[in-house]
Amino acid sequence: MSLLEIEGLEAGYGAQAVLHGLNLTIGEGSFAALVGPNGHGKSTTLRAISGLLRARAGSIRFAGARIDRLRPDQIVAEGIIHVPQGDMLFPELTVIENLRLGAYLPKAAAEARTRLDEVFSLLPKLRERQDQVASTLSGGERRMVGIGRGLMAGGRLLMLDEPSLGLAPIVIDQIYEVVRHLAVSGRTILVVEENAMRIAELADRMHLMDNGRIAWDGLGSEFLSRPEIRAAYLGG
Amino acid sequence: MEIFIQVIASGLTLGAMYAVSTIGLALVYSALNMLNMSQGALLAFGGYVCFYAMETLGLPAPVAMLAAMVVGGGLGLAIYLLVARPMLGSPMFETQIFIATIGIGSVLQSVVLQLFGPQPKAQPLNVPGGVSLGGVVVPWQSLLILTIALAMLAGVAWLLGRTRAGLAIRATAQNRDAAQLMGIRIGQVYAQVLMLSGALAALSGIMVSSLSGLLPTMGADPMLKAFVICVVAGLGNVPGAAIAALLLGLLEAIIQYLFGVQYAFAILLGLVIGVLIWRPYGLFGKRQVVRL
Ligand SMILES: Nc1ncnc2c1ncn2[C@@H]1O[C@H](COP(=O)(O)OP(=O)(O)OP(=O)(O)O)[C@@H](O)[C@H]1O
Ligand SMILES: [Mg+2]
Repeated sequence: MSLLEIEGLEAGYGAQAVLHGLNLTIGEGSFAALVGPNGHGKSTTLRAISGLLRARAGSIRFAGARIDRLRPDQIVAEGIIHVPQGDMLFPELTVIENLRLGAYLPKAAAEARTRLDEVFSLLPKLRERQDQVASTLSGGERRMVGIGRGLMAGGRLLMLDEPSLGLAPIVIDQIYEVVRHLAVSGRTILVVEENAMRIAELADRMHLMDNGRIAWDGLGSEFLSRPEIRAAYLGG
Repeated sequence: MEIFIQVIASGLTLGAMYAVSTIGLALVYSALNMLNMSQGALLAFGGYVCFYAMETLGLPAPVAMLAAMVVGGGLGLAIYLLVARPMLGSPMFETQIFIATIGIGSVLQSVVLQLFGPQPKAQPLNVPGGVSLGGVVVPWQSLLILTIALAMLAGVAWLLGRTRAGLAIRATAQNRDAAQLMGIRIGQVYAQVLMLSGALAALSGIMVSSLSGLLPTMGADPMLKAFVICVVAGLGNVPGAAIAALLLGLLEAIIQYLFGVQYAFAILLGLVIGVLIWRPYGLFGKRQVVRL
């Protein structure tokens, strides 16, 4: 059963077209990775799915229903959670306030207590830091708040945009621990990742992006065992 | 000592009055990056609605004030829906809305002029007498203004700090995209913020006019001061704006006493320029500049 189905998606900024007829399908409960060179439209794809950017053509279906004309808040209410690239925390709010905002919608708010416990057990650092203002956190802590805030929402599809970008190796390992935990939890996840080899170890399916389209997709294991694919699309 | 009490009392009254309209302005700027140049006209409109409700309709003062705030809120909402919303996506939004609200301001002012004429009028909302404090008579009017203004500020602080709607407003002001990804409907936040700001402007207009009378142009001076206060506090910093308003009110009262009314605004602006050279992002502005 596919949860998300994108067909012929076109989107861009001003006069610049970024996505040129992108097709992407994500099965319920699967862990999908979207990889590709910088600037080829990975973040733009996520922004179009979450409604921050309007699709110019094509369709996006979620659980069978069109969502490409909905507002971002409606799309969140449908259950699509987007943890954006660069964290986008609320800088003047504390860690706990940031996390609570993740459960802003009534449905999530009703479960905020148990979710918060889950987030704290997955990211124990956040419990220590809960009263600290977000702008004073380290890069790794900020990333954890961003991910934790997304987890607070619950939802049916979790999209993570470059969760390990710009972090020290040891912090990347910690973040990957969390991603690994999510991967085995049975949630439906779409993760954008720079490090294709590393994410392929976890992903059920790899989607390779090339200039606004999906150029190849296949199993994570297939991606790992066929170096010629990496050579063709990711330059080695 | 008596002089001291008098200056403090009038300074706090001024400051509290400024604070009410200034936080409205600051709130709108922080949420939408919109400098609302029609604020002065909204002030006047509020003052006149209260006048009309009491004088012509014979309504009691609290009802008249409430009516004025409702009308002010309605005007704020209309400005959002008819003018701000259509411009929102534009990369030139800040400039466009600045010019557009100047236009709205002059239209509103003309409406007031048409309806009520150019002659000054007295705001019927007037409490006679005063209370003796350390040998000085502080007018009830001032105390009432101070009380209402402080209650209003406390109310706004509670709204922003303790309610779900307030959290949504703060989140939207800090990061619009992220706010939307939390499920916040930012269009609704913008509408609420403009309504609140319109209602606060009306209340401020009633206060100002209860001291200095009604004129169609009465909002210009308080609006200018509200802008000055916003800039001193750091644009868009709402609690900072309230504090800066009280400080500036006190300062204005002291300058008035020491040098006379005619110098107050000039000296105030001089001080403000000094502050901005010292701290370009305002007293409570967050961003630090790199000094060479
Ligand atoms: N807000 C924006 N305004 C204009 N152009 C943009 C904007 N955001 C992205 N772009 C452009 O759209 C293209 C695709 O950007 P996108 O962020 O989707 O790439 P990406 O695949 O996520 O890259 P990265 O790996 O660097 O994050 C780039 O050419 C980028 O310059
Ligand atoms: Mg990106």
